[in-house]
Amino acid sequence: MSPPVPALEVRAIGKRYGATVALEDVSFALHAGEVCGLLGENGAGKSTLVKVLSGVVAPDSGEMWIGGAVYSPRNINDARSMGVATAFQELSLVPTLSVAVNLFLPRPAGRGFGLVRLRRLEQEAARVLQVYGVADIHPGALVGELSLGVRQRIEIVRAMMRAPRLLLLDEPTSALSDREWLFALISRALDAGTSVLYISHKLDEIRRICHRCVVLRNGRKVLDSSVAALSDAEIFSSMAGRSLVEAFPVASSAVQPAPPALSVKNLTAEGIEDVHLTLARGEILGVAGLEGQGQSSLFKALAGLLPLRHGSIEVAGRREIFHSPRTARRAGVVLVPEDRKEEGIFKDLSTLANISLPVIGQCHRLRFIDRRVERARVEQIIPIVELAERYLPLNIEALSGGNQQKAVLAQALIAGARCLLLFDPTRGVDVGAKQSIYRLMRRFAEEGGAILFYSTELDELVHLCDRCLVIYRNRIAGEVPRAALSQERILALASGHSLPQRAEEEHFAEKPVVAR
Amino acid sequence: MKITVKIRRALAGGGAPFATVVCLLMYAIYAVRAPSALSIFGITNVLNDAIVLAIGSVGLTVVVLAGEFDLSGVGVIAIANVLVATTSGATGLGAVGSLALVLAIGLLVGTINGVLVALFHLQSLAATIGTMIACEGVALLILPAPGGEVADNIATGLTGDVAGVMPVALLILGGFAAAWFLFKRTSLGVAIYATGADAQAARLSGINLRRTRLVAFMLAGLCYAFAGYMLSAETGTGDPRVSSALLLFMYAAVAIGGTSLSGGKGGVFGSLAGAGILTVLQKMLFALGVAEFYTNIFNGIVMICALLFGNLASLLVGSVRRQVAK
Repeated sequence: MSPPVPALEVRAIGKRYGATVALEDVSFALHAGEVCGLLGENGAGKSTLVKVLSGVVAPDSGEMWIGGAVYSPRNINDARSMGVATAFQELSLVPTLSVAVNLFLPRPAGRGFGLVRLRRLEQEAARVLQVYGVADIHPGALVGELSLGVRQRIEIVRAMMRAPRLLLLDEPTSALSDREWLFALISRALDAGTSVLYISHKLDEIRRICHRCVVLRNGRKVLDSSVAALSDAEIFSSMAGRSLVEAFPVASSAVQPAPPALSVKNLTAEGIEDVHLTLARGEILGVAGLEGQGQSSLFKALAGLLPLRHGSIEVAGRREIFHSPRTARRAGVVLVPEDRKEEGIFKDLSTLANISLPVIGQCHRLRFIDRRVERARVEQIIPIVELAERYLPLNIEALSGGNQQKAVLAQALIAGARCLLLFDPTRGVDVGAKQSIYRLMRRFAEEGGAILFYSTELDELVHLCDRCLVIYRNRIAGEVPRAALSQERILALASGHSLPQRAEEEHFAEKPVVAR
Repeated sequence: MKITVKIRRALAGGGAPFATVVCLLMYAIYAVRAPSALSIFGITNVLNDAIVLAIGSVGLTVVVLAGEFDLSGVGVIAIANVLVATTSGATGLGAVGSLALVLAIGLLVGTINGVLVALFHLQSLAATIGTMIACEGVALLILPAPGGEVADNIATGLTGDVAGVMPVALLILGGFAAAWFLFKRTSLGVAIYATGADAQAARLSGINLRRTRLVAFMLAGLCYAFAGYMLSAETGTGDPRVSSALLLFMYAAVAIGGTSLSGGKGGVFGSLAGAGILTVLQKMLFALGVAEFYTNIFNGIVMICALLFGNLASLLVGSVRRQVAK
């Protein structure tokens, strides 16, 4: 007896963007009525794989079959006609159209040159919303006026209402408060014979609903196994590419005595309240927190991007008022921002020009920019961030995430920063570049610099910081000294528990990586 | 809930009703000073003055809703004008033949624009500057100096009235309004709005962006051509340079009508009212005895006020929404 034909088979899929390899030689199969988890860190290639399967992005190489038939969708409608439906992570609803019209895109008026009959469409939409247990959503409401969580529900309903053979759910719980609703719908879809590819980085969800999981790392499949047979540690180490404890530089603390490099009192701004902190020279001070607890506001306020309502900032003992990142930079305080692509780099410029920007005003002769001086300044700085010289003339967009981040760090350092504000600097960065960034942080501290370091990866905080502040609901909820640093301790504070024991039971298994 | 949804929609679509009210108000002021404005002759006159701008901005609105720019309109209008002036005469193609020729040219230019933008991914602003200049060049080639002659049946037939009660121009504008009323309820109409509002989401929703953009430019080209045909009927002659001033006024009409220049919001009714405002304003100021060289100052102020009102409306929508959320 031959084995049953898999619902989806993917063989040797590859995709690259410029110099960045998004997917390489990925193969797996999905059986009828199965939920398969797809795991990986940010930048591991999960979303690219979803786009390839949905027909949004054409792969460079490889083949796919659905139910035994060759599958090479040219667009999302091809994918739909083959029975593939996707709930996208970035949500694909048009904000200016109503819920009803969105549900029936691209042809709300039916085939041919018909007219949209709004009342009938809304009745039909109300029926669909009822069937999927979200009758509280008004079908005539404009999507742009609904909260993110409601939009995510609509996105999921829109994928499921087509009764697909293959359902792709890309981070479907990122804005969802009621996960049980989704899990119930998934099990209903499975009963109807749908296969589900469930993309998430939340391990408890994967354990809850998936039979099997595939782990991607740097665009390659590194694990494909039954979920029950794996321990959390095994899954995490395959996602991260190393075991959890090793691979951090071991160094003694370089904290120097007073005066502190940065001292903040009573700082209050939009999204952050009454923060006190002191950052000594040579210190790496961690900041931890679940998503949206005010960490982003704290960093922005310190970098001059948010006006202070109260409080003061002192740099090396001098009172400073930062009206803009420019005044902060002048005082030696430099932010490496959260969203590298949007806030960190100038997309159309070369890597060299990106790095030299803060000092370009000094690289002149007779008021004209002297390219040799510029190049010399940049060449001084790039060994510190371990960026290879050959990348300098390339457009920065052609670089991998890791090399882009090194360039951003070089840009932060080139004007002589004394205090770095690093906001999740290793997000979407490959393992090698992470190591470079860790070494750079260590060296910067040893030379007397001060670092305020937020990370969504708790193990980074545990292993790199001298102390760690934990933010919860826009306030500092507590501080963990170096000797007591552990993921459990941080998580307990970050989720609002003061008792570490209880928190360990409830949260450690669930969220060894803090939600992004 | 239902009522607030309705309020929000009325405010969100604030451009067209607001512009219509302003237009009628100005017309009332104009009529007080010049009572002939209320006669069928007076109304026909105003509509004839507005119709070229109105139809041109209808075409532009379709492209703007799809999230693109289109400057080629004046070029197409110029070609259409000189073609009608050279071909519609007794020895030429006649009224219907020259209309068909002109529409074909409009469709061709629209298709070129659409292909450049949708298929070759050129920036629409830059690409249509190119086609605009080329079209104006072609118009000069066809008719190097003002002249030519527009067939009598075009000039009189399209500018008069039917049986002394219904201006022809009103019938034509009503036809465009009705066509839009139906078109925006087709899947393609919805696709144009969706593409302009959020192209990425529209694509992930299965909308064919290329086809949508291409069709938007083609429809616009047809409108421009018809606007050029109407211009010929108004002036009765051909002039390759007569339309240059129209370009910015077309954009002004679209903006006054409440259509967002970044796409996805607004509609043709607003643009019709916008064209009406720009035309009636001139009449009103003249009737009030304001010297003609002040007119543009007021045009500009009206446009800025319309944009401010658009902001105000969205602020109001926001506050209603917050109340609903509570």
